[in-house]
Amino acid sequence: MGKVEFDKIKRPETIKLPFMLDFYPLEDSKTTQTSQFFQNLKKGQLTTTKCKKCAQLLWPPRIVCPNCLSNEFEWVDLGTEGELYAFTEVRIGAPLGFVQDVPFCVGLVKISGLLLSSRVDNARYDQLRIGDKLQLKIVQLEDGRVFFRFARISGE
Amino acid sequence: MRKVAIVGGGATRCGKREASWRDLVQEAGKNMFESVHNISPKDVDSLIVGAAEPERFVFQAHVTPMVAEYLGIMPRKVIARTELMCASGQAAIRYAWACVASGLSDVAVAFGVEKMYMPDMTEAHTNMSCVLDREWDGINALSAPPFFAITAQRHMHEFGTTEGQMAQVCVKNHHYSSMNPLAQFPKEITVQDVLKSLVVAPPLKLLDCSGITDGAAGVVLVPAEDAKKYTDTPMYLIGSGQASIGNTLNNLASLTEWVPLKMAVKEALKTADMTLSDIDIAELHDCFTISEIMEYEAFGWCEKGKGGKFIEEKQSYIGGKVAVNPRGGLLGCGHPLGATAILQAIDILQQFRGEVPQGRYVEGAEAAVTHNLSGPANVHSILVYSR
Repeated sequence: MGKVEFDKIKRPETIKLPFMLDFYPLEDSKTTQTSQFFQNLKKGQLTTTKCKKCAQLLWPPRIVCPNCLSNEFEWVDLGTEGELYAFTEVRIGAPLGFVQDVPFCVGLVKISGLLLSSRVDNARYDQLRIGDKLQLKIVQLEDGRVFFRFARISGE
Repeated sequence: MRKVAIVGGGATRCGKREASWRDLVQEAGKNMFESVHNISPKDVDSLIVGAAEPERFVFQAHVTPMVAEYLGIMPRKVIARTELMCASGQAAIRYAWACVASGLSDVAVAFGVEKMYMPDMTEAHTNMSCVLDREWDGINALSAPPFFAITAQRHMHEFGTTEGQMAQVCVKNHHYSSMNPLAQFPKEITVQDVLKSLVVAPPLKLLDCSGITDGAAGVVLVPAEDAKKYTDTPMYLIGSGQASIGNTLNNLASLTEWVPLKMAVKEALKTADMTLSDIDIAELHDCFTISEIMEYEAFGWCEKGKGGKFIEEKQSYIGGKVAVNPRGGLLGCGHPLGATAILQAIDILQQFRGEVPQGRYVEGAEAAVTHNLSGPANVHSILVYSR
């Protein structure tokens, strides 16, 4: 009978955050045809696409209008002030990448006739009310990518 | 179209199981085949497997051939997997039904499986965060609990629904799951237990939420004309309705009124040639307590906004207006995504056969609906079964 060998093998102890666990979208023009949205965010503007043919305002931004199939759009500025429609606070069960932020508020924000989901910064649950005015803010990742949030206006 | 019957079904016990995905499949498969006379794995010509996220939970794709291999099935008509998140199992039944109804398949198995417990549960929560549009809604950590918390808050704001009323849904469903040996949570609880449980995302507490669950289940579908070859007590699939509106939260029809559910109800009753009062049992998708309250309203068992009152008056208990979730619901039994709709179907079959314990038996039931919602409640799926 041959002797059975026991061997230890090694795997990397840490790995770079893989793309499949990254919530933030790739945003440059090499990876998406709506990179303008992110370029506008970098200038402090929250925008979306409006169809030039049927005039429908679309969220999220598109390259084809689901209403009339046109692919001609203009970018429309949605403004910087939103109204809180509904909200909660994540206390348990946050996903990888957000665990360090717990507790944090998320909500639905009315702005320019749209209802956008967003993190609501500068607030605990008890400090917020439906109907509160919120201010647009932009967050930037260490690699330069950006995304939008809203924040409670202090003092309100 | 041929009329279709379900002639048997089997499942695993649900919960945090000391079992792998592959173990769950085999356990449910054995129980399924042992529940039907005169059908062996080699008779099955089609296999549809409802599995929501095996790539994430067990790092495995192409799962239907794997189920086929473990169960000794060699499909020769249709083999496919269905993914419709929390309704993946119902999607499997619907596909199997279509296969048999069309004449393509003579013996089809609709199977469902999910292994959701992982060594690090943060990973499981992460898996549940790419259900909503990940780039626009998931990015805000909107997995199921925060989304349904927002829904509940709005329902409370608009209609005066209370946390106490929501808690009563959980109390009812645990009452019934206490009599279900397959249930993840087979014990009675009180309103105080719910209200004092850990806050997950206000206004939702831990007991407002259905569980993270391991489980599997399967049912066998055949043409109605062949059903008596396999059992004296088949159950017939006589109607269906399914509708979807929007996907990102901006594009939902409404947060507090589930319009696609109302559409699906209408279609389901029409195809079954029934009215709402013909339905004796409703297995509704109580992924959260608020869901069941909104489902009473959308089905039309009560007025819009009066769902809280409906449970308060115990109208959804056996003996009330309609028996809702006498199986114990997702709140009591757990929610192994791909398996959930199959578990609902098996329980209806056992109800019709009088095989459930007395305390949760709906005597003389002739017709039942099973319902599943998925995603941000933008998709609603209903099947109608009769004795």
